[in-house]
Amino acid sequence: MSTKDDTGLLRSVLPPERVDQLFDLCGTHSWKLILLSAVIGALPPVFGLREGYMMTVISEMFLFAILALSWDIVGGQTGYPSFGNMAFFGIGAYTGAILLKDFAVSFPLAVVTAGVFATVFAAIIGLIVLRLRGHYFAIATLGVLLAAQQISRNLEITGGASGKILFDVPPGIVFYYFFLGVLVAEIIVVYYLSNTRFGFILNAIRDDEGKATAMGFNTTYYKTAAWMLAALFTGLAGGAYGLFNTFIDPQTAYNGAWNVELIAMALMGGTGTVAGPVIGAFGLHTIIEYVETAFVGWQLVLLGLAVIVTVIGFPKGVVGSLREYANEMDYYERGGMAATDGAADGTDAATDANDPEVTTDE
Amino acid sequence: MSNTPDTDEPEMTANAADAVLRTEGITKRFGGLTAVDDVDVEVHEGEIVGLIGPNGAGKSTLFNCITGTLTADEGRVTLQGQDVTDWPEYKIARAGLGRMFQETRIFGGMSVRKNLLLAAQEGGADIGGLLRRPDDSLLERTNELLEYVDLGGLADTRAGRLSFGQQKLIEFVMALMAEPELLLMDEPAGGINPSMLENLIDYIRTANDEEEATIFLIEHNMDFVMEIADRIYVLAHGERIAAGTPEEIQNDQRVIDAYLGRE
Repeated sequence: MSTKDDTGLLRSVLPPERVDQLFDLCGTHSWKLILLSAVIGALPPVFGLREGYMMTVISEMFLFAILALSWDIVGGQTGYPSFGNMAFFGIGAYTGAILLKDFAVSFPLAVVTAGVFATVFAAIIGLIVLRLRGHYFAIATLGVLLAAQQISRNLEITGGASGKILFDVPPGIVFYYFFLGVLVAEIIVVYYLSNTRFGFILNAIRDDEGKATAMGFNTTYYKTAAWMLAALFTGLAGGAYGLFNTFIDPQTAYNGAWNVELIAMALMGGTGTVAGPVIGAFGLHTIIEYVETAFVGWQLVLLGLAVIVTVIGFPKGVVGSLREYANEMDYYERGGMAATDGAADGTDAATDANDPEVTTDE
Repeated sequence: MSNTPDTDEPEMTANAADAVLRTEGITKRFGGLTAVDDVDVEVHEGEIVGLIGPNGAGKSTLFNCITGTLTADEGRVTLQGQDVTDWPEYKIARAGLGRMFQETRIFGGMSVRKNLLLAAQEGGADIGGLLRRPDDSLLERTNELLEYVDLGGLADTRAGRLSFGQQKLIEFVMALMAEPELLLMDEPAGGINPSMLENLIDYIRTANDEEEATIFLIEHNMDFVMEIADRIYVLAHGERIAAGTPEEIQNDQRVIDAYLGRE
């Protein structure tokens, strides 16, 4: 933030008021914007993109956006950073693969069942691990992921360490529209919820869970509900992934590196927002794909660098930082200093230091 | 406590029926330390009751036992005739107990308006209420309350950006938004400037007169508590050493001794 202020370049090209107007515009036309994005997302196959590398990459972008947005429901909106979201994905993937291969169930039914299984699993695990907070929660969820991975390695039905190969794979366009459909559905659900009492309660848990409890909210109940919602979408995506990839094993289904990736996506885009994780997923996946082809083997190094730069430079992510930038003067413009407080106290003075023009303005 | 001549006891039993809050023999021990020792208090509808005592007297611990944050080792807590001793914290809050914290706690990442909307108890925990957007009457009440404390302009500002004093006011109107049967305030006057303290006294008075809010408050600022409270309880070393009107308390030898460190 401070570096931008120093150069003043951004300020002249894109003043905060303009960004604020943009946010307002997005806010008033949010539903149209979602619809428009969905239509744009649906267009490429219509114009002939039906197979090949690009098709796969775009499908994966949708997939990662689903995973990042799901992570953010609990990690961003509710403030419980999970390192175990890929457990839901793995359970979905194995449920889907086993049903398709061993029970010859139809694709839609297998995917839906995968989502349901992941959700039920989340309910059970959630009641245990969601009692923990902060680091303890993060470690416990990582433990869940590793345990789930180990179990699938040991069981007969999951094909053990060698995993499962799937045949009779539908064409790529099916997965393209499936992932797009799930993503759009999830965006609609999360965006709607973020403006309801339920969404407010999740944010309240993130900001101060003790206070939320003292206000009469049984936070365990809301945390578990959010966790199950995240598991549902992650499980649905996982259910289709086995066929999409034509192969799953414990390493790919419960992919710990992916879990880090999707956290990085949510962080870079901006946690606690709807657009943030989606933008982060599209952006980071594009970069990773490019590096993977251009500098083979360096993608994890780049991922690490990207995370460090984000955390230092834009701790609130792209969307969060922009919003902060747009609203930086709000407090003063709306009479924050004048209101009731009398003289500015310590907190005001601290903010003044960043914005020298404030005092002259007022 | 048993040897204290409780002159106000007859009056209390007469009003026992309309006691919003009653504790009987609340005791809380931390290891070998008895933080709260066999404390009885009663708060009646429409009252402002103060709770004072030297540092470490057990005031906040008593509050925590009432709200369910801590579980008392002995004794009962009754809220509007219901025994809530073993209830979880959120359930007691839902039964009509509001709380303001010593270290002002609001939801810093959310807008001021969302803080208030969240505090409203109507709609409650049923699924329909959770999944609806806040209705107009609720938004209107939010605006009213914000105007009332002169913070109307800051409705859409992130609550964490507000100054400490403003956050304190927000926490107060959040408590009013919930329309609690009883509001516990832990040091409402702590850390705010004198001119704002005047305002706060007005706000609390008005809430008490017009909204019929019943208030039980911990306070270290003696002028403030003597001015605002109808009755006062005094704790020292976890024991209730006195109870009565502000005049009675000011002239009570045991209270004076406790504050001067004699005991």
